[in-house]
Amino acid sequence: MLDDLILGMAGAGGDGVVSAGESLLSAASSEGYHALMTKSFGSQIRGGESSCRVRLSTKKVLNPGGALDVMVALNWDDFFKFGAELPLSVDTVLIYEEKAGPPPETLKARGVVPTEVVPVAIAELTKKSAGTDKAKTSVVLGLLSGWFGIPSEAIGRGLKKKFGSKGEGLLEANEKALASGIEYARAHPLRTPHVISKPKGPPGSKMLCDGNDMCAAGALFAGVKFFGGYPITPSTEVMQTLTREIWKYGGTVLQCEDEISGIGATVGASFAGRKSMTATSGPGMDLKTEILGLATIAELPLVILNVQRGGPSTGLPTKPEQGDLYQAAFSGHGDVLRPVLAPTDVEDTFKTTVDAFNIAEQYQTPVIILSDQEIAQRKEAVDLIDTSRMEIIERRAPTEAELAEKPYARFALTESGISPISHPGMRGGTYLAAGIEHNEKGDPTSGGTMHAKMNEKRFRKLEPLKQRTDLFELSGNPKAPLALLAWGSTAGVAREAFQLATAQGHDVKLLVPYLLYPIAEQVYAGFFESVKHGLLVELSHQGQLYRMLRMFIDVPKGLKSFCRSGANPFQPAELVARLVELKGLPS
Amino acid sequence: MNAPVFQAKDYKSELKPIWCPGCGDFGVLQGLYRALSSIGRPPHEVAFISGIGCSSRIPGYTTAYGFNTVHGRSLPIAQGVKLANPELLVVVAGGDGDGFSIGGGHVPHAVRRNMDLTYLVMDNQVYGLTKGQLSPTSPRGLETVTSPFGSLEEPINPLLYMLAYGAGFVAQATPADMPGMTALIEEAIRYPGFAFVNIQSPCVTFGEDDQQLKAHKAKQKSLASLGHDPSNQLAALDLARAYGTELYTGVFYRNPSPPPTYESLVKLRQTEQAKKARPRNQILDAYLQK
Amino acid sequence: MTNRQQQTPGIDFAVLTLKDALDLAVLIEEEARDRYEELAAQLVLHRTPGAAAFFAKMVRIEELHRKQLLEERAKAFGEQPVAVRREMIFDVEAPDYDEVRSDMTTREALETALRSEEKAHRFFVSVLSHVQNPEVRKLFEELRDEEVEHQDLVKKELAKLPDDDRFARVDVGDGPAPQ
Ligand SMILES: Cc1ncc(C[n+]2csc(CCOP(=O)(O)OP(=O)(O)O)c2C)c(N)n1
Ligand code: SF4
Ligand SMILES: [Mg+2]
Repeated sequence: MLDDLILGMAGAGGDGVVSAGESLLSAASSEGYHALMTKSFGSQIRGGESSCRVRLSTKKVLNPGGALDVMVALNWDDFFKFGAELPLSVDTVLIYEEKAGPPPETLKARGVVPTEVVPVAIAELTKKSAGTDKAKTSVVLGLLSGWFGIPSEAIGRGLKKKFGSKGEGLLEANEKALASGIEYARAHPLRTPHVISKPKGPPGSKMLCDGNDMCAAGALFAGVKFFGGYPITPSTEVMQTLTREIWKYGGTVLQCEDEISGIGATVGASFAGRKSMTATSGPGMDLKTEILGLATIAELPLVILNVQRGGPSTGLPTKPEQGDLYQAAFSGHGDVLRPVLAPTDVEDTFKTTVDAFNIAEQYQTPVIILSDQEIAQRKEAVDLIDTSRMEIIERRAPTEAELAEKPYARFALTESGISPISHPGMRGGTYLAAGIEHNEKGDPTSGGTMHAKMNEKRFRKLEPLKQRTDLFELSGNPKAPLALLAWGSTAGVAREAFQLATAQGHDVKLLVPYLLYPIAEQVYAGFFESVKHGLLVELSHQGQLYRMLRMFIDVPKGLKSFCRSGANPFQPAELVARLVELKGLPS
Repeated sequence: MNAPVFQAKDYKSELKPIWCPGCGDFGVLQGLYRALSSIGRPPHEVAFISGIGCSSRIPGYTTAYGFNTVHGRSLPIAQGVKLANPELLVVVAGGDGDGFSIGGGHVPHAVRRNMDLTYLVMDNQVYGLTKGQLSPTSPRGLETVTSPFGSLEEPINPLLYMLAYGAGFVAQATPADMPGMTALIEEAIRYPGFAFVNIQSPCVTFGEDDQQLKAHKAKQKSLASLGHDPSNQLAALDLARAYGTELYTGVFYRNPSPPPTYESLVKLRQTEQAKKARPRNQILDAYLQK
Repeated sequence: MTNRQQQTPGIDFAVLTLKDALDLAVLIEEEARDRYEELAAQLVLHRTPGAAAFFAKMVRIEELHRKQLLEERAKAFGEQPVAVRREMIFDVEAPDYDEVRSDMTTREALETALRSEEKAHRFFVSVLSHVQNPEVRKLFEELRDEEVEHQDLVKKELAKLPDDDRFARVDVGDGPAPQ
């Protein structure tokens, strides 16, 4: 019995392998499995090659995983197009459409040839059982169910949901196809059985969602009332979800004419006193820079989600990369300190979004959430998140008594640096918000003394953030000499690498920052104290966090950057190998 | 003759305008104070949004809530304000460069969404704040520091633009006629939808002599005196073509049956969807896989 | 459009009462006072002290006139509520905003005041043709004549000015400052 199973499927878009993957995922999650799915497409809008990976587990899934346990290829061409995204090992069970012919030489050329290669006449089976070849993927699902122990009732329920309302007979055809797949698998057992254990959680206890879902849900939970945005892959789903949901809670989504307008309307709504957010990706983020500065100087709470994709420019719109950290922290002119948070998986995107709203509201500042394409779009079955202890923070408004007592000073230089913020409609609280530097009252000034004071205030108010150890995840022996650091989606791989390395007996610890900026000097200093060797893993060409750390603190000499361009995901095993290598070096 | 609750001076802030003495914007500001007092909303219920430019300084000179934003983005920001709190009276103001050059892409969208906003453009056919460069409404041939041998471009026509985009209220005014301009600003604010007033507000420092208030006084023709019927959109389009040659003042077009505003439709949608709201701690249940 | 309609939209002079006429006169002085104050402030801000000082003086003069009219009003009508409003008048005696320029000469400032007094004079002449109430007529005739006196005063001041402003400061001073 296995605790973990990684399946891949590839075919032409018209075959519907992604849709089959989704059925598998939803069946598994409704049974109580942890599960995770990533998908990948050719650049055609419709009908190109498509593939998906589904990882099922009885434990929390940390990342999409490396080599596949099972691969289903409906034809060879489409399979090979996905190259490294669908890696095989000798242990992979490779199932292919018999009609496509035996595995071509290319497979050998790729280095690993699985020992168990199973041809199945999928099209023929479909035709025979369902009377049509339009139900091929149901045969595949039947095979997977039969061979790997994925509960067929759940798959059946999924088919009902999916086809129940479609063309007459389609559901029946698919049900028959499913049954024939199951039967075929029973009649032709694999050489080595690969059956997955029963899940631990009860059926119906898992949420099925992706990172963008969790961002939207987190925003609703935090009380978002306004979203202004412009569609861009891979962030659009946040706007789409909110557009369905936000009205119920008295809010509005405005699909704007461009990203500038998107963040503009969002800043406007915040000025008017409502929690507001916008979401975008690379090119859209570029456009938002000027108004980010406005929000900083006018001290307006604002949440900006940047779902990173490969860049620069249009770059790799559908692939993850962690190349926007510099931009998040440093874009825009002037002296600016703008908090940047990064979720590391689907589930914690929820909490990170709530944190982002809380920080924005508490400190009256724009906050950037740096997600990435992988977290944002991978569908995952996760445990229902316990929100009972999550706090919601509202911006501090002046009280009526305060407003009556003395003339309101919007930017009063308080000890904390946070000044109570009024909003239009509030009697006695009128002021001028502006992009121009201001005095305490809000009146424009170009005096150096006041400018220095206001800059100091805008930085000072964010100081306490750096003490927020809850925004850092620390695992392992705190005194360990060996360290692993990673942020964003890369953290998922690092977590697994950490587990692997620990299991291999290495004295190692792991730090995953959710707060990327401002750099929490003390947290890092504490962490690095015992570190002789370490690896900071990032999916970007430069390794931006590594360089930023060196800009703000002294890192141990033995801390190395392990980075490479986006769309080249890390594998846990290679991180462990690197760590072991490092250990051998003098520190 | 009931005394208004708020007098014009109640909208005047302590901040002293830094405009050049003689600038047309002083008159616009004065007219605005008066229009606001006729309308009578307390200053704290008024949100005054602008971009960047000499003209965009205007919110700071009022006691309303003001937001002097960035160059060209007043309309998107104002829409966010309005949607966040539809009860507010939202006035948007800026220059010809702010509105029709850098911010030009936002204009049609603001118009077609038809929120109850009043957009006042102080059109001086020049960039004032940056010291006299060509603006999108500068006449062809105009010599400026960025067109020393004369501009090679046709100006855009703000009136035609707005009419073509479908604005429900389009007017033109000049502070050379203070009562007329004040009445127009008031009427624009009262119009229940997107209302635009192109105010020919001379730049005394960089503007042409024939664009100054004295010239306006001689040149100005009121549309009413021409017998124009403001509900006639086609006639309005025809008259608007004279922008740049004639100085027509008054209402070019006023939609006789204003369509519902965006924010009123938002309200309807919110009300209709509200029954589907989940308690905060059950928001995630929507994702449970049964 | 006539001056009268332009400057006082909504006031019907045919039926104007003495109380309203007095209050209107007070407001006209008040408007002029406030405008001179604004213009003086603008010119102080723009380093044009001569003209600013003259406008500051006009503030005091207009305030004096206002007070005199207020006293008259108080004598005749005591605490009776005021019905006319500042919003009903536009630039009757107040100079137009575009009368001023930074670096304007004191002479130009005086000429501005002169034009404003002439404007006020024309206003009273124009409304008098509509006024029927004899008391109101009397008041407006007085005011009209006072405007002539004021003009004479300004003219005398003008004559006293030294002939030092043949060269405009705009021609020798710095250009406008970039923002
Ligand atoms: C993004 C950006 N580009 C350029 C500027 C410089 N700038 C400020 S105001 C302005 C033009 C002002 O002209 P207009 O909008 O007509 O206003 P006016 O000053 O004439 O009232 C320019 C180019 C800026 N502030 N921001
Ligand atoms: S530069 Fe022109 S527009 Fe700007 S304040 Fe001076 S006169 Fe007015
Ligand atoms: Mg301009």
